[in-house]
Amino acid sequence: MPFLIAIGVIALILILMYNSLIARKNQVDNIFAGVDAALKKRFDLIPNLIASVKEYMTHEKELLSKITQLRTEGMKPGLSDTDKIALDQQVTSALGSLMISVENYPDLKANENIMNLQRTLNETESQIAAARRAYNQAVTDYNNIIEMFPTNYMATWMNLTRKEVFAVTENERENINVKELFNAS
Amino acid sequence: MKSISELTDFYYNSLYPAIESLEEQRKALVHQLVTIFTAIAALAVTGIFIRWYYFHAFDLFSSIFVIAGAIIAAWRYEHMIQDYRDAFKMRVMKPLIEAIDSTLRYTPVAAISQSLFEHSGLFQRRIDRFQGDDLVQGSIDSVNLQFSDLHVESQTQDSKGNMHYITIFQGLYIVAEFNKHFKSRTIILPDSAEKIFGNVLGNWFQSKNLGRDPLVTLDNAAFEKAFVVYSSDPIESRYILTHTMMERLLNLKKKVAHPVYVSFVDANIHIAIAYNKDLFEPTVFESLLKYDNAMSYIHALSLAVGIIEELKLNERLWSKK
Repeated sequence: MPFLIAIGVIALILILMYNSLIARKNQVDNIFAGVDAALKKRFDLIPNLIASVKEYMTHEKELLSKITQLRTEGMKPGLSDTDKIALDQQVTSALGSLMISVENYPDLKANENIMNLQRTLNETESQIAAARRAYNQAVTDYNNIIEMFPTNYMATWMNLTRKEVFAVTENERENINVKELFNAS
Repeated sequence: MKSISELTDFYYNSLYPAIESLEEQRKALVHQLVTIFTAIAALAVTGIFIRWYYFHAFDLFSSIFVIAGAIIAAWRYEHMIQDYRDAFKMRVMKPLIEAIDSTLRYTPVAAISQSLFEHSGLFQRRIDRFQGDDLVQGSIDSVNLQFSDLHVESQTQDSKGNMHYITIFQGLYIVAEFNKHFKSRTIILPDSAEKIFGNVLGNWFQSKNLGRDPLVTLDNAAFEKAFVVYSSDPIESRYILTHTMMERLLNLKKKVAHPVYVSFVDANIHIAIAYNKDLFEPTVFESLLKYDNAMSYIHALSLAVGIIEELKLNERLWSKK
């Protein structure tokens, strides 16, 4: 009888360990789906943004075509999570440069359509930043559980490997401030 | 919005004639109260003495004199201060609120509704008594805002079977329009578990809090230490709680020095500050001109109205207009 109880307890512990590993793994996948949705929302904004600024921005043709190209790459099917993470950083930086360049065009700064686009882009950037932070926390929880004793043994048996987090720079920690960019409310 | 020093000047200068006449009313009231309370106490003592002198008993029947005296005194007190309280609210609180912003509407006898309070999801106990007053409503920098004093209680039975009320929340309750679109519910509570049990164990207890949405761990150590966050959406909770918003909420907590509860639900932010006392009430046994009393009204009011500036709810950086 005690032997059976011991077997039962061990089996229960193993089931709980297995389930918590699966829950962490699924949590990462679920939140990545949220990151993906936010990234797609930003990709959807790009054509409209480019169309609105290209007439004015004569000196930034290279930057505009780079953004378009990044968008095309990002929309390709079958991209891995790591590729998406890398691409996100490039898009964020290119759009950041574009928004700084807008400063040099007074007509553009005052354009109502651009202002609206800027607001929507700002909102999407904030949603992406939030999704990245949620993803990083989920990945940290997941990486912790697959490396901690005793779940690490089961994680190895289940072929679970460490996942990468999004690099969050100090600049990204701050919200983009439209007032600063446009010098208007 | 006027600064605290401007409001203090307003209180002691513009409101001085009203406060001075209220002071006269208060002194006369104190005199009446002392006379009546002395008479009630004397009657109760006489009753106890008669009971002891003629029946040689000092028993349950004697204590009825004390209880009856206390009930009559409490009833008389409430009745007698009513006029003084009403006069204070109309002649001091109303002009003070209008001085902060002339568009604010003040209703002394109304409060934030029970349904709005319950909808915040901040407090989960069953509500058996819901009281409140001093409702202020208006719009600051195009942001809708309302706040009031609330006292929310639940009835409970002790080990002897006696029913009594316990306070769920007492203090300032603020509801303001939030400047971002969101669909989920995010709740921020003071972190008591981590304080008692430490990081790891406290976090474990918090994650097992049934009846709450899943626990959200945020990337700001100071915020995590001060608060515990539950949300129905891990991404949206971080969209609301940006690093700057977390800093602003931490600053608010430091500023008020009372437990702060925050909920983001249905396009609004709810902020409950547990002062554990009735706010915006006139002092009876202390002078209205006393600096500490004046400051308690001014601080609570400017904190409630200033929440929009403090949390930058007037920033329209996103698509919500």
